Amino acid sequence: MAIVGLFILLLPFLVRQIASDYTNFSLQNQKKKVLQNIKKNGLDYYFQGDDNYGSYTMLKEEYISLETTTSNLRIDTIKTTQRIVEQDTLTYRVLSFTFKTGNKNYLLEIGKTTASINLYNDSLQRFALYVLVILIALSIIIDLIFTRQLIRPLSHIIKLRLSSTKFPFKKNQTRIKTSTTDFRYLDDSLISLMNQINEAFDKEREFTANASHEFMTPISILQNKMENLLSEESTTESDQRHIVDMMRTLERLKKISRSLLLISRIENEQFIKQETVEPSKLFAEIQEEIEHRLEEKNIKININLQKNHLLQQVNYDLLFQLFYNLVNNAIKFNSKNGNIVISDDIKNNKYIIQVEDNGIGIAEHQLPFIFDRFKKFESTQTSGHGLGLAIVKSIIIYLNLEIEVKSKPGTGTKFEIIFKL
Amino acid sequence: MKVLIIEDEKTLAYEIEFFLKKAFFLSDLAHSFSDGLEKIKLNKYDYILIDLGLPDGDGLTLLEKAKKYNPDAAYIILTARGKLEDRVNGLDLGADDYLAKPFFLPELQSRMQAIARRKFNVNEELLLLGNFRIELQKRFIFFGEQLIELSRKEFDLLSYLLLHKNRVLTRIQLSEHIWGTFADDDYDSNYIDAHIKNIRKKLNVYEPTDWLETVRGVGYRIKK
Repeated sequence: MAIVGLFILLLPFLVRQIASDYTNFSLQNQKKKVLQNIKKNGLDYYFQGDDNYGSYTMLKEEYISLETTTSNLRIDTIKTTQRIVEQDTLTYRVLSFTFKTGNKNYLLEIGKTTASINLYNDSLQRFALYVLVILIALSIIIDLIFTRQLIRPLSHIIKLRLSSTKFPFKKNQTRIKTSTTDFRYLDDSLISLMNQINEAFDKEREFTANASHEFMTPISILQNKMENLLSEESTTESDQRHIVDMMRTLERLKKISRSLLLISRIENEQFIKQETVEPSKLFAEIQEEIEHRLEEKNIKININLQKNHLLQQVNYDLLFQLFYNLVNNAIKFNSKNGNIVISDDIKNNKYIIQVEDNGIGIAEHQLPFIFDRFKKFESTQTSGHGLGLAIVKSIIIYLNLEIEVKSKPGTGTKFEIIFKL
Repeated sequence: MKVLIIEDEKTLAYEIEFFLKKAFFLSDLAHSFSDGLEKIKLNKYDYILIDLGLPDGDGLTLLEKAKKYNPDAAYIILTARGKLEDRVNGLDLGADDYLAKPFFLPELQSRMQAIARRKFNVNEELLLLGNFRIELQKRFIFFGEQLIELSRKEFDLLSYLLLHKNRVLTRIQLSEHIWGTFADDDYDSNYIDAHIKNIRKKLNVYEPTDWLETVRGVGYRIKK
C-alpha cells in the first residue's frame, strides 16, 4: 500500500519526465526528417530561393525555422526558451541544430509550445491513473482469492479448534488436512495445548472428587459422635443446644462436600443416560418435594406444559436435580406471594422448558457469573452454598442441553432449558 | 440381635456400636477385610455392616464371600465412595441396603428395622400413641375406628419419631430422613416445624398429643 501511495505521489513527476522525453524524441525525429529532406531535395526545397525559411502551425503550437548563421556557431541543444512569433511571446521547447552544407552554416530550430506539451502531459497522467487504479483493483481481487485459498486451513483451524469448541474439549482430536508446514505446526501446537488443558482439567476434577471424598469420613465421625453425645443422659439441655449448633455447621460442610462430589461425578460421567422422562410427571414430583417451601412464602406455581414432549436418553435424577434447583432458586429469590410459571414450547426443532419467576431478578453485570462455583452476590443474602447453579450447569453440559437466562432486576428471571430434538 | 460392624475407621465403628447398644443390638467390631471374614466364618449375625473401603481388600468381595457363611444375615453397605456402580453392584451381590457416608445413626437403625420387616417378617406389636393406633406397614393411623389422613411425609415423620421414641431427633436428622440427601443448599430448614404443626393439628381434633414434644432449640421427641 505504501508503495502504491508513493507511486501515486510521484506520478506527476514521472509523467512530466515521460512527456518531456517524448517531446525531445519527437523533436529529434522531426529534425531527422528535415535533414533527410534537405539531403534528398537540397536546401531549396525549403528556401525556394530565399535564404531563410519559417513555418508554424495555425495556433503557433509548433514552428520550424531554417536560416543561415555565422560559420563558427555550433550548437545541438534542446531547451525551453521564449520566442516571438508574430508579436506573440510564447514559451517553446526548442531544438537548435547547426549544420554545414557547402560552405554555409545553417541553423535549424524546431519548437513546440510547452502549453501543448502540458496538454498531453495531463491526459497521459489521467490515463496512467486509470491504469493504476484498475491494476490495484485487479491485484486486490486476485490477492483475496489467492490468499483465501491459501489460508483456508487457517480458518478451518480457527473454526474447529478455537471458536466452535466447547469446554471440556473432545479427546483424540483429528489433525486438519494441510500440506503447509506452518499450518501443520499451528494445528499440532493447538492440539497439544488442548490436551494440556484437558489434562489440567482432569486433574482438577480428580482433586475435587478426592478432596470431597476425603472429607466424608471425618465428617462422618464428627456427626456420629455429636449424635451420640446429644442423646447422652448426662448432657444438659443447654449442652444439647450447643451440639445442635455444631451439627448445623457440620451439615453445611457436608452439603458443600456432597455438592462438589455430585458435580465431579457428573463431570466424570457416572450417570447413565438411558431413561425416558415425561416433563409433567417430573414437575409434579418436584412440586410435591418442594411444596413446603412454596407454602412458606405463599408462592403460586403454575405448571403449564402444553407440549409435554417425552425426553429421551436422559437421566431422571439429574433432570430432577436440575429443575429442582431452578425452581428452588425461583422460590428463594422470590418475594412473598410471588409467582412461578413453568411452560414449554417446540421451536426450530428444539424443545424448550421455561422456568420463570417474578422475583428480585439478577443484575446484568452478574449474569455471566451466576453459574460459577461458590459465586454469591451481595444482593442475595439468603442461605445457600452457591453451588446450586454450578450443579445445573454441569448437568446441562453432561446431558448436552443448552441454557439461557433472561433477567431484569426487580421484575424477575427466566431460565430456558433447550433440548435438541 | 447381633451385628457385625466391619469398618476400618475405629472411631466411627465405636460410635456405631455405642448407638446400636442403646437400641439393644449387640455388636462385634472388625477393622479389616481379614478380621471381618474371620468373624463371619466363626459366628452367626443378624446384621453385617460392611465398609467398602477396607485397607486389605474390597468390601464387595467380602460381601460375596460372607454370603456363603452367613446367608441369612442382612447386609448393609456403608461407603464414602458414593459411586453409582458401587450401589448397583452391591445390591446385585445381595446387599439389602446401602448407606452413603456420612449418614445419621437413627437412619441406620431405621434401615435395619425396614429390612427386618421385609426379610425377617417381624410383625411389630400394634403401636399405640395415647389412643391412636398405628400400622406401620400399611401406613395407617386410626383413632378408634376412624382413619386419619396424613400426608406421606407426615406419616414418615411420625413413624420415624416413633421408631426412635424417647430420643430427641434434630431437625437436620428429620429432614434428611424425609427429603433424602440430594444436593439442596438450604441447611437451616425449618420445614420440619410446619409438618409437625400439621400432624398436631390433624391429631388434636381427636385427642391432645402431649406425647409429641418439642425440645426447644434441639428438635422433637416422642415420649412414651
